[in-house]
Amino acid sequence: MINFILRRLGISVLLLAIVSVIVFVVLRVLPGDPTITLLGGAQGTDPAQVAQVRHQLGLDRSLPAQYWQWVDGLLHGHLGISYFSQTSVNSLVAQRIGPTLELALVAIVAAVLIAVPLAVLAALRPGGPADRVVAFFTTVTMAVPPFLVAIILVVLFAVRLRLLPSRGYVPFATDPGGNVQMLILPALTLALAAAAPILRFLRASLADVAESGYLLTAEGKGLPWGRALVTHALPNALLPTLTVVGMTIGQLLGGVVVIEYIFGWPGLGSLIVNSVLKRDYAVLQTSVLFAAGAFLLCALAVDVLYGVIDPRLRVRRKVASS
Amino acid sequence: MTAVPVPVALPVPKRRGLARRLLSTPQASVAAVLLVVVVAAVALAPLIASVPPDAIDPSHAFAPPSLAHWFGTDELGRDLFSRMLYGGRYSLGIAGCATVIAMLLGVAWGFVAGQAGGWLDEVLMRFVDVVMAVPIILFGLILVAAFGASVFTLAIIIGLLLSPATARIARAAVLAELQSDYCLAAVAAGVPRGRLLFGELLPNAGPVLIARASLVAADAVMIEASLSFLGLGIAAPAASWGTLLQQGYANIFSSLSYVAFPGLVIFVAIWVLNTLGDRLQAVLDPRRAR
Repeated sequence: MINFILRRLGISVLLLAIVSVIVFVVLRVLPGDPTITLLGGAQGTDPAQVAQVRHQLGLDRSLPAQYWQWVDGLLHGHLGISYFSQTSVNSLVAQRIGPTLELALVAIVAAVLIAVPLAVLAALRPGGPADRVVAFFTTVTMAVPPFLVAIILVVLFAVRLRLLPSRGYVPFATDPGGNVQMLILPALTLALAAAAPILRFLRASLADVAESGYLLTAEGKGLPWGRALVTHALPNALLPTLTVVGMTIGQLLGGVVVIEYIFGWPGLGSLIVNSVLKRDYAVLQTSVLFAAGAFLLCALAVDVLYGVIDPRLRVRRKVASS
Repeated sequence: MTAVPVPVALPVPKRRGLARRLLSTPQASVAAVLLVVVVAAVALAPLIASVPPDAIDPSHAFAPPSLAHWFGTDELGRDLFSRMLYGGRYSLGIAGCATVIAMLLGVAWGFVAGQAGGWLDEVLMRFVDVVMAVPIILFGLILVAAFGASVFTLAIIIGLLLSPATARIARAAVLAELQSDYCLAAVAAGVPRGRLLFGELLPNAGPVLIARASLVAADAVMIEASLSFLGLGIAAPAASWGTLLQQGYANIFSSLSYVAFPGLVIFVAIWVLNTLGDRLQAVLDPRRAR
């Protein structure tokens, strides 16, 4: 088990390192010099001034040296300095990570809370009305991109019903009520997008388990079908679903970028979009690496958790690797 | 004694035309009709649009849908229907080119990996893992930040980002075909590698790949719309569906039709391509259909 975790951890670190190289190279080698933007974008900018700014930002050094400077800083906890606001990326990321975590956590919990009861409801009577409604809900939500879901929710709850704000953020500590109000729409958007694949998978998984012998036994000894489903089938069906939840968290991180931007949610996602718009490479490369790291961490956590919960898997892996 | 071959009458399944099998579900028929309508409308935009897409009429800003302006007007009084027709040329053009790039690159990538095996396979597929280890939109943002956004760069960026997933599928298809008897026979007969790959394997893996192309196109429409929505699409005054959606969203308290129509059309495009992709998969490749 330890070996397995270590190997997966090693692969993740390697992947992250390669991603960092790609991100760095793409941003440095290609056109679009941030110094020109920084100095106002005028063509006739004083070359001496440009050179000075380039030197300040370390852009006049060789690429490997710049890369090493960046990675060395990362490893020592210095994430760099924003080209524009002159604040450290550390404080920017620290400010932004809280809102993103809040949004993503609430969304994934909500997604599971939406998906599990609906899947059970659908599985109670396969082919029944509830099953068909749930199947329809899944196909539709899987086809609609998250930003369209966001727009529909805003039109409904902010423009028409005027129940919730269309965008904005206040920290939970300053105004808990306001925070929750503003959280509802972005979290619901992400939750709906994340719920669909979980729901679809869990429904199929429940159908698989429902055919097994032990469920027949449970029914045979007189256990009501609903209870048999929840107490016996659900725990076993949830297990493979865990992988889907993990993959969904990863997709959620991509969705967060767009959703945060739409709702003016000051998280890591909107930081990334804004730094793209401003060509603030120092912020961009680090925040993207952060997001990629979070993504890889989720994948790793799911793999490990899966191995811990299901001992059969560990054995199978051992057999496969020997 | 010579054994007389007994003619065995195998039940030959009635082969209906591909198009008819494809459209045998109502969903697929609706999707196909919508696809034809949307593509034709976008292609014939100059003939259909009664008002130029950039004709400004500030006195009729944010007009609701009417006979004169089917989709209403935008903040400058421009006809939204015309703008959608011309915007579709960017959206579908970029998505179409991106799909071609993703398929060509992805299929070559997967075929080479699957056919070569060994270290080359390992390197190529690990690179797929790297690209797919990060949400597409993140790499998309980085690449747009570096290359800028034009029709040309967006098509290449989106195509590049969608190619690894295609490579994975193409590789799986090659590996599956390599197991088959006809491939073994071809190898035994000394068919050269290149001809085996492109003359035998490609046509046989074709169905999987055609279905895949439709799903890639749906993803491409969505990514283009996402990037445009974030303000990273093609630059003004040109506007794709995603750009129009963004502008409509910015004016959501002034006009609902402005955001509704681009949103609806983007949804329809994605739904159509996904539905046809799934259906193609079911018809052309029943074994691997989901």
